[in-house]
This record gives sequence, structure tokens and C-alpha cells, in this order.
Amino acid sequence: MTISPIVELEQLGKVYPTRTGDVTALTDVDLRIDDGEFVAIVGPSGCGKTTLLKILAGLEQHTSGVGTLGGRELGSGAADVGMVFQKATLLPWQDVRSNVLLPVSLQRRPSKADRAAADELLEMVGLTDFASKRPHELSGGMQQRAAICRALVHEPSMLLMDEPFGALDAMTRDLLNVEVNRIWRETHKTVVLITHSIPEAVFLAQRVIVMSPRPGRIVDQVEVPFGPERTLELLGTPEFGALCSTIRRHFEKEAAA
Amino acid sequence: MSTLTSMRNARGSGRSGQLIGTLSVLAVVLLAWQFLPTALGTPSYVVPVLSDVLNALFDPEAFPRYLSNAGATMTEVLLGLGIGVALGLALAVTLAQLPRVYGVVFPYIVAIESIPKVAVAPLFVIWFGFGLPSKVVVVVLLAFFPVLVNTIHGLRSVDKDQIDLFRVNGASPLQLRMRLMIPAALPQIFSGLELAVANSMIGAIVAEFVGAQEGLGVLILQAQGRMETAAVFALLIILSALGIALNVLVRTVRKVVVNWEGR
Ligand SMILES: Nc1ncnc2c1ncn2[C@@H]1O[C@H](COP(=O)(O)OP(=O)(O)OP(=O)(O)O)[C@@H](O)[C@H]1O
Ligand SMILES: [Mg+2]
Repeated sequence: MTISPIVELEQLGKVYPTRTGDVTALTDVDLRIDDGEFVAIVGPSGCGKTTLLKILAGLEQHTSGVGTLGGRELGSGAADVGMVFQKATLLPWQDVRSNVLLPVSLQRRPSKADRAAADELLEMVGLTDFASKRPHELSGGMQQRAAICRALVHEPSMLLMDEPFGALDAMTRDLLNVEVNRIWRETHKTVVLITHSIPEAVFLAQRVIVMSPRPGRIVDQVEVPFGPERTLELLGTPEFGALCSTIRRHFEKEAAA
Repeated sequence: MSTLTSMRNARGSGRSGQLIGTLSVLAVVLLAWQFLPTALGTPSYVVPVLSDVLNALFDPEAFPRYLSNAGATMTEVLLGLGIGVALGLALAVTLAQLPRVYGVVFPYIVAIESIPKVAVAPLFVIWFGFGLPSKVVVVVLLAFFPVLVNTIHGLRSVDKDQIDLFRVNGASPLQLRMRLMIPAALPQIFSGLELAVANSMIGAIVAEFVGAQEGLGVLILQAQGRMETAAVFALLIILSALGIALNVLVRTVRKVVVNWEGR
């Protein structure tokens, strides 16, 4: 069985021209992500994590190097991805089900099958009873669950998440992490997760990509040896703690330098 | 469940308590209006007592005249409001798509916003005559700016991530406008509309003061000329009632349309 890469980046760079001069957000990014893989990206604030995700999503253009996503050259139109932001960004004037169906309804009138798919996703995250409610009637964690459903409803080849749980409390965050792990195992989607939390990265990912501060580069890629199914007990194991410290040491070095 | 019900009751009685308070204030004011002028010896051409004003208002000879002139004023208001709001919305949506043009035009919008626009009413009477058009133009001018400014503000403060969400899902520019920008700007659009409504009444009356053949403004000036203070008050009551009615209408529509605001 050969695993094909879904993402391949070579010497990818991004410079933002600004009024006060050019800002180099990314330099020499070499990255390969396999189909179905779960990758987490950690790095200090401003190191270009969001920029990298936006380039993958087709929301920003890279300025040097080459990259492909699903065999297509990056920068050639909208990518086949689902995106989850730090805020749930649900539309307050639509009910939860219509919000989940947004990626579909922007392309065509949702069919019965589309609606069924949305309801199935809502059931997977325990929001069945809230399908007809407005977003403001949901808690922050429930809103973010709905946002994940929305990112999956059009069956994208890849799920991109930019600090999706950064605004949530620790307990909700743990629960949602367990849920994301289950969703990943059930849907076999490729996931790229950006997070500020090293434990979250280690808990969810098969590989943790460590980035350096400006200009953003990949300084290390840490394989996570745990199996696909992750439970909260993992958080207390010495192996888990050791792996977190290994990654944390990168930032201590940066801070000392 | 029972706590929920009792909370709802508490809020309900709070609201009806408020209503009772508001109505009591009204009652006190009306009573004072009826009895205080006489008690203080104020002449009736300065402050006529309430019953005189009501007599003037429902005078069977005058009332039909009041109504037809109120109709004339409201025609000016509604025509001007309609045109002004439509123009304001259209220009705001256009400018929101053209950031460069917006940058050039913005200082002028601020400048025009800050001048008292009713002051140009005499000019419009010279240009457009004593009939309906000059009044409508003044109302258009006064209704246009609050809608323009508030709508632009609403369109520009749409969440960047929500825009990215639409783009990443391949939304067309039209979809982006119709399904995100405009709905998201609705609360501000309605704030602009509320201001526009208040402005429109002012615009119509001032324009009528400057020079007109019919309308409540004309009647007020005529009553003033004859020192019929009670009639002036009667006309002011009609004017206020119309203004309040329009405002309530807009707020009701807002509650129905912007039903996610929870206010
Ligand atoms: N649209 C833009 N125009 C100019 N500079 C930008 C733009 N977006 C990002 N930058 C700059 O690029 C660099 C990387 O930004 P980016 O948002 O990708 O960082 P990040 O790693 O996501 O940070 P954080 O962890 O705080 O979210 C920063 O220095 C930022 O100032
Ligand atoms: Mg970021």
C-alpha cells in the first residue's frame, strides 16, 4: 500500500508588501503531508502559521517556491478544503443546519441527500436537537462543533483548522479534542491543525511541525508514536509529557537566543 | 422550569411596571397642561390649556384641512425617504466594493455630513419652486447621508474570517454581497434608517417653512401669523404623532427582519 501525498510544498515563501516595507512571513517551507494524515503546526505568534494555512486554502498567494494540493498547483483557484476558524463564524441569521449547509448552498440548492449529510454530521457531534436553533442559542463549544460540521459537509479532501479551540475553556477543549480525534478516525480526512497548545498538538496529531519566529521556517518535525485512537488518559502518561517537553525545548532555545 | 417561569413573570411585571410609570408621567404632564396655565395666569396665546388645544385639533371645520395637509407633508416625507434610502444603500454597496474610490470620496462624505443640510432648503426652493419637488429634494438629502454612512460602516465591519469562509467555499461576488455583507450590515442599516426617518420629518417641515403652498409647516406658519397658539399646538401634536408612528414602524420592521439581535 503506497500513501500518496496530498500536499507538497517546496521552498515555499510568502512576502507581504506593506506600507512600511516588505514583511517576510514564510521562507523555505518544505512540507509533505500524506493523504489521511493528521498534522499539527505549532510556533510562536506571528511566525506565519495562519499565512501557511491561507495559502493552502487558496486565500493567499505564495510569492516564491512551488506547491501542490491534491495534485493541483497552489494558487489556481479555490482549494477543495474545509476551514475552521478560531471564532465559529456562524451566520447569526440562519439556523444551525443552514449554517452547516453553507459550503453546499453556495454551489447549488441543497438536496435531500445534502440535508441528510448535514444532519448526520450534527448527530456525530451531538447537536441533533439544535439543528433548527440559531447560533446565539448555542454555547461557544457547541458553535465550534457546528463550525466543524460545516467544514466537513461538502466532503472536502482536507480539513484546515486555525486555533479552533483557542477561545474555549480547558474542559470544553479536552472534550472537543477527543471528538476531533474520533471525527478524524471516522472520516479518514487529512487534517492540518494550527494550535498554540503543545499538548493539544501532541494529543491529536501524528506529526507535529515546529515553526520558528520570523521569518517563519519549519525547524523540526516530530513524529508522534501513539496509535490513531487517543483518549484523555494519554495526557497523564510519561511518554506524552516527554514528547511535549521535547517540542517545548525548541521555543526555550528561541527565547534564549 | 418553575424558575424559568417566575423569571419570565418578573420580567413581564417589570415591563408592565415601566408602562405604568410612563403613563403616569404622561397623565401628570397632561393635568399640568390643563390646570397650570390658568393657575399661573399665563395668557392663552402663550400656552393654551389642553382642552383648548384639543378643541382646535378636533374642530370639525379645521380637521379635514389638517388631514389633507398632513397628507401633503407625508407625501414629501415618504417620497424623499424612499429615494434617499435607495440612493444611500446603492451608493454604500458600490463604495464598499471600490476601496480606492471610497478613500477619495470619504473626506467629502464627512464634510457634507457635518454641515447642517437644512440650511440649503432656501436654495432648493429657488431651484425647484414652491411645489413638491423642492421638499422632496431636501428630504432626500437629509435621509441619504445617515443611510449611506451607517451602511458603509456596517459593510466595512463585516468579520474578515466570515469573508474568508465565503471565499474558501467559492462564493461569487454577488453571493458574498447578498448572503453575507448586506445581512451582516442590517443592524447598522436600520440604525441609519431610524436617523433618516427623524431627519425626513425635519427636512419636510423646514422646507415647507421656507416656501410652500401646502403641508403642516404651512399651516403652522399661518396659525402663528393669526396668533392662534392652540392651533399651532394642535398641528404639533399631529406632527409628533406622525413622527412617532414612522419611528415605531421602522423599529418594528427591524425587530422582524434583524431577528437575531435579541433586543
Ligand atoms: N495581510 C497581511 N499584510 C501584511 N502582513 C501580514 C498580513 N497577514 C500577516 N502578516 C504578517 O505576517 C506574519 C505572519 O502572520 P500570521 O498571521 O501568519 O502569523 P501566525 O503564526 O498565525 O500568528 P498567531 O499565532 O498570532 O496567529 C506576521 O508578522 C504578520 O504581521
Ligand atoms: Mg494565526
